[in-house]
Amino acid sequence: MILVVSTCKYRLSEEEFVDPVIDIIREAGLDYTLKRYSEKLNFTRYTKVIICGTALKDFDYMNYIDNFLGLTRYRGGILGICAGYHILGLIHGNNPLEMRRIGVYKVKVVASSPLIDRGEAKAYFLHNYALKNVEKPLIALGLVNGEVAIYKVMGKNQFGLAFHPEVLNKSIIRNFLNHSDK
Amino acid sequence: MAMNVCVLYSGGKDSNLALYKASKEMKIKCLVTVKPESEESWLFHYPAVDIVKYQAKALGIPLILDSCRDDEESSIKALYNVLEKAIEIYSVDGVVTGAVKSTYQATRFQRICWDLGLWCFNPLWQINESKFLHEIVNSGFEVIFTRVAGYPLKKELVGRKFTWEVVEMLLGLKEYINPSGEGGEYETLVLDMPMFHRKIEVEYEVYGSDYDASIRINDVRLIEK
Repeated sequence: MILVVSTCKYRLSEEEFVDPVIDIIREAGLDYTLKRYSEKLNFTRYTKVIICGTALKDFDYMNYIDNFLGLTRYRGGILGICAGYHILGLIHGNNPLEMRRIGVYKVKVVASSPLIDRGEAKAYFLHNYALKNVEKPLIALGLVNGEVAIYKVMGKNQFGLAFHPEVLNKSIIRNFLNHSDK
Repeated sequence: MAMNVCVLYSGGKDSNLALYKASKEMKIKCLVTVKPESEESWLFHYPAVDIVKYQAKALGIPLILDSCRDDEESSIKALYNVLEKAIEIYSVDGVVTGAVKSTYQATRFQRICWDLGLWCFNPLWQINESKFLHEIVNSGFEVIFTRVAGYPLKKELVGRKFTWEVVEMLLGLKEYINPSGEGGEYETLVLDMPMFHRKIEVEYEVYGSDYDASIRINDVRLIEK
């Protein structure tokens, strides 16, 4: 069972940032549960967790960051998209800086992972915060104009994406869903 | 408390479905329409402005209207103008768009909204085509084709209503076209939907060639539902 976490303050934003991710999970024939950032979250019940993005002006999830602290002990796969990248970075001691990026940019993938091979890929960005560099336990897997576009939590199948893979890089989500965490 | 928003409105199925979805959570203060010079505009659909005025009346929602040339600079300037008016007159805090797939459109809408301090909502973004088309019919929208712009969509389709049969036909043409018309394969006009207090009736003629045809609207009126 996949846990999908919405970081959207408004349901109208969920149609934009959550529903497209759920469509990919459904197409893969997998079951999912949707929870919201303001709920108490019990991650251990799920095989994988996807934390979706939200609107550019939406930071309400930052008021509920404690709900995500359990992820530091979680052993399953995590895919943090935009707000999810922000949250996963924060709980691992990496504080994203204010860096706005809107539109399609080329990501340089510097190390291969189960999500994407080394090389270049176009991706759609919509964020206000990003990491300029990362410290342990995070390692950078992809870069865009001096910011970390993809990172991984060392020793785990847990990733942060500063872009929205549900727009131009659906295969990243499919690869995440199909990859075994064992 | 519901947020005050405006809706980027062209009168077709996309902006009407975005409006309908937004109305369930937000307070719709006004519609904003920018009319480009022609169908060549990359940023806006080419709406029949007179019809948009009737649709706004049918909805009972104020309309802010402007026009622009087809080039990007003029389109963006016009969008800033109408949104600044929406902020000034109706105190909107957000914008709702009918963007579906175009990252070109979405990027510009997002940047302009950010510059103006507005929330940007795109409830149709990346929507599954089948879900999208079925939702239009299921929600009770009365939609007609106003243009077809390429094989295999035939001239006979122009003026025809969106029905289950038509939706299945469009989904069956996936190999040739984007069924939701996102690539400009066809344009639509909404004559009625659940938020309309009155419906629109049009008299028209069809002109053009076998696979590139449009309607010319000769008369429009609002009628009781």
